[in-house]
Amino acid sequence: MAKWTRFRRLFGLEPATDVEAELAFHVEMRVRELIEQGETPERARRLALERFGDYEGARQECVAINQRRKRHMQRTEFLTELRQDVGYAFRMLRRTPAFTAAALLTLALGIGANSAIFSVVHGVLLESLPYRDAGRLHHLQMLYPDGTKYSGFSAPDYMSMRQDARVFEQIEAFDIAPQTLTGIGEPQEMTTGLVSAGLFDFLGFNVAVGRTFLPEENRAGRANVAILSMGLWQRMFGADAKALGRSVTLGGRSYTIVGVLPAEAQLPYPAEIFVPLEYDNTFDAGTARGRRSEFLATIGRARAGVGAPDVEADLRRVGNQLQTAFPESNGGLTFTSTPLREMIVGDVQRPLLVLLGAVGFVLLVACANVANLLLARGSARHGELAVRAAIGAGRARLVRQLITEAIVLGLVGGVLGLVIAYASTEALIAARPADLPRLDEIGLDSTVALFTLGAALLTGLVFGMVPALQATNEHLLSGLQESGRSAGGGRRAHRLRSALVVAEMALAVILLTGSGLLIRSFVELTRVNPGFQPDGAMAIRVTFQGEMYKGDDQIRNRVNDIEDRLRGLPGVTAVAAGTVLPLGGLGALNNFAVEGAPPPPPDVNQEIAVASVTPDYFRAIGTPLQRGRFFTALDHEKAPPVALLNEAAARRWFPNQDPIGRRIVSGPGPREVVGIVRDVLQRNPGEPAVPQMFLPYAQRTTRSVRLIVRAQGDALALAPAVRDQIRSLDPNLPLADLVPLNEMVARSIARPRFYTSLLTLFAAVALALSATGIFGVMSYTVAQQSKEIGIRMALGARTADVLRSIVGHAMMLAGIGVVGGVIAALALGRLIRNQLFGVNVFDPLTITAVIVVLLGSAALASVLPARRAATVDPMTAFRS
Amino acid sequence: MGAHPTALPEILRGTLDLLVLQALSWGPAHGYAVARWIEQATGDALAIGEGTLYPALHRLEERGWIAASWGASENNRQAKFYALTRSGRAQLRVETDQWRRYAAAVFAALDAPAVK
Repeated sequence: MAKWTRFRRLFGLEPATDVEAELAFHVEMRVRELIEQGETPERARRLALERFGDYEGARQECVAINQRRKRHMQRTEFLTELRQDVGYAFRMLRRTPAFTAAALLTLALGIGANSAIFSVVHGVLLESLPYRDAGRLHHLQMLYPDGTKYSGFSAPDYMSMRQDARVFEQIEAFDIAPQTLTGIGEPQEMTTGLVSAGLFDFLGFNVAVGRTFLPEENRAGRANVAILSMGLWQRMFGADAKALGRSVTLGGRSYTIVGVLPAEAQLPYPAEIFVPLEYDNTFDAGTARGRRSEFLATIGRARAGVGAPDVEADLRRVGNQLQTAFPESNGGLTFTSTPLREMIVGDVQRPLLVLLGAVGFVLLVACANVANLLLARGSARHGELAVRAAIGAGRARLVRQLITEAIVLGLVGGVLGLVIAYASTEALIAARPADLPRLDEIGLDSTVALFTLGAALLTGLVFGMVPALQATNEHLLSGLQESGRSAGGGRRAHRLRSALVVAEMALAVILLTGSGLLIRSFVELTRVNPGFQPDGAMAIRVTFQGEMYKGDDQIRNRVNDIEDRLRGLPGVTAVAAGTVLPLGGLGALNNFAVEGAPPPPPDVNQEIAVASVTPDYFRAIGTPLQRGRFFTALDHEKAPPVALLNEAAARRWFPNQDPIGRRIVSGPGPREVVGIVRDVLQRNPGEPAVPQMFLPYAQRTTRSVRLIVRAQGDALALAPAVRDQIRSLDPNLPLADLVPLNEMVARSIARPRFYTSLLTLFAAVALALSATGIFGVMSYTVAQQSKEIGIRMALGARTADVLRSIVGHAMMLAGIGVVGGVIAALALGRLIRNQLFGVNVFDPLTITAVIVVLLGSAALASVLPARRAATVDPMTAFRS
Repeated sequence: MGAHPTALPEILRGTLDLLVLQALSWGPAHGYAVARWIEQATGDALAIGEGTLYPALHRLEERGWIAASWGASENNRQAKFYALTRSGRAQLRVETDQWRRYAAAVFAALDAPAVK
């Protein structure tokens, strides 16, 4: 038994083999003993097994016990080691505070920026819309023969769609309109949602307080109840339950408040107060009347399992039916649809994803930088690792420990990043243009936290893996002998660090190119002549509703009075009213034809934007007349109908002709074209002006107008006086949307400004990080070669030679990075093509600028270490 | 080997752990040696069903009372040797004490006169 100390292994092979060997040994020993006692081998074997009893049962039980034990031991061992590694990692990080601070700051910035952008992407794009079965909701649209879509539906078309469409479970509609609310405090303009009978239930809305609408309340004359949004209830009634049953006047009609919607219940286009959509006699699938009066946003829920092609086909079928049944109104028209989600976030999807990708690049650059720091430290820790290897730590164990350190670093960086993300998300929400959809959905929730955790873990793995493998790669024992050498780590580590710097440079080039292109586009956008003079004018909206304004005459007179009053204010140079503002959208669209011209082919869109303006409108917005004359007071309601066209309309319908004096048909009766005005931007500087027609306000009077006041000096300073003047004429007029005209310009480029600033910020961070990277590598090179440099200096090399050689090396690294980055940037350029204006992806100016900036920063980052090298005292270098 | 009982006597089932610990108290031994010791010490109580010894050994190992390792047997074969651990030795003392008290109580009861 003395030989028992000859252990071969502490724990056996696989439990099954182990047990098998043990039991076989027992049986064999017994057999041998029985044979020694005189049994035949066969009988001995039989007897031995008989004595043993249930062999298979015992075997299985042993295997089960051992497996359980092995698992338990492995788990315990793993956890123990992990605890050791984590504790060790924290001690190491504390011991090198400068390294730790640099790494954590870099990581926190990288991860934090990612979490912030992800929280926006998550809120805006990923989170589903807050409606029941939102994925099956479609926004129904009219489809014109030339392929243009229009999101409004007429009441009879809506009813026909409800009656005839087969792919939808249900179709509901609403209209959003500004209405004057009176009876509570100052008159106010309320964004009012007029909703169809089943809309709330259809979207899954329940009231928070009170009751919802009853189906019969949509009948004509019965629509006299209102439901408040949570926001309005709180703002106007202090969330008082007594608001229920109160009466409010909206657009001159009286409504009783019956309920309040919860805060999260909001239509795709938000409204503050809701009333039943009144079904007048045009809400009839059989009528021909009112088919071309489109005002309803129409949403359908597709039946489960119905695909987009089925929906399209069914909508076309209904469209064709209506073409046959109502050729006068529906000829050439059909229907299409867009998923509701796409309708809401469609145009921000690409830019946001590009931003997410860009910020991902920033994180990669941060990873490369921290990996670089770790590599440098790995060299310094060579001795320590060699000692650990010498006392029995395997390579896997060392790699695991180094990666644990990296992940600890990553996680701490992630926690700090979350703090940064929290702060910057707040800043993003504040800085974002107000027209970015779904603002309220953005926030740091559990998904964003999980994303951050994942990013931190992955980051730790990415930047920890390479240095860990590298640091344990070489002969660790040889490292023990060399640990005194300052230049530990060797050539391979240095090459790796150079490669990382090249990668950083390339990523920085991609980001710089992207931001450069966006900056150029942005500059181009701001250079576009808007066609009006934004400075020195302001606008305010007035809406005329109620008893005093039954007829157009009363409205016209009131507008005249207001204009006269405002002209009397000091400093005012022009006052006018109009239905649209520059950069304020297209307004109404009408069909358009030139009298006497052959009818246009049916597949060409013959629409024109229509606006009503008072005579001084163009002087007020600062738009010059190109030909003919402006309107005058003589173009009143009883005078011959006249019109002004913008240049785009003149070009389109009167190419190489003089439109002045020609007669056109748009709406009721022909009109004479009396002048051509300069194109005024309607949507944003990126979209050229579309054909637009202006009619005298007297000949086309509307209930809601924008009053425009131009003054010397600051127009906005006149705002209180303007309000007072209007109120003195009628204290019940609601005034809304006070805006300086230059604010319209700022708003129209708010989104590009947002994307451009973010991408530029990311590019700047990437540039700074990669410059730091090159600085680190060059400092290291200089330190490593100080002896060699000393020899060269001793042999007569001049300072300039040494400088040139060091900076030249840095420039070579940067050069490789720049070449790779430019190629990648050109390939990725198409992702932002839609955001570009006035430049293309291959903009030589941008690319040249990026190359100069990058090489310049690389040169700067290497000059400092190079100067240190050039001042090396040969004697000191030799002695070191 | 005498009459073979059909199974391990019930009373021994609960004491098998104790017997194994006792067998190992003289030094490390492989399973077969433990079986032989029990065979001789108990008059072949395990005669049929020696196999149950092994799950008992592995359970004791799992509890940390004995430790196993592979080594060469007396005839130079690979065998799994078990040795008492420190806690196993303590456990043996506890269980031995319990058994002695239990047995004493049973004997005392058997020798006791009838209740008056």
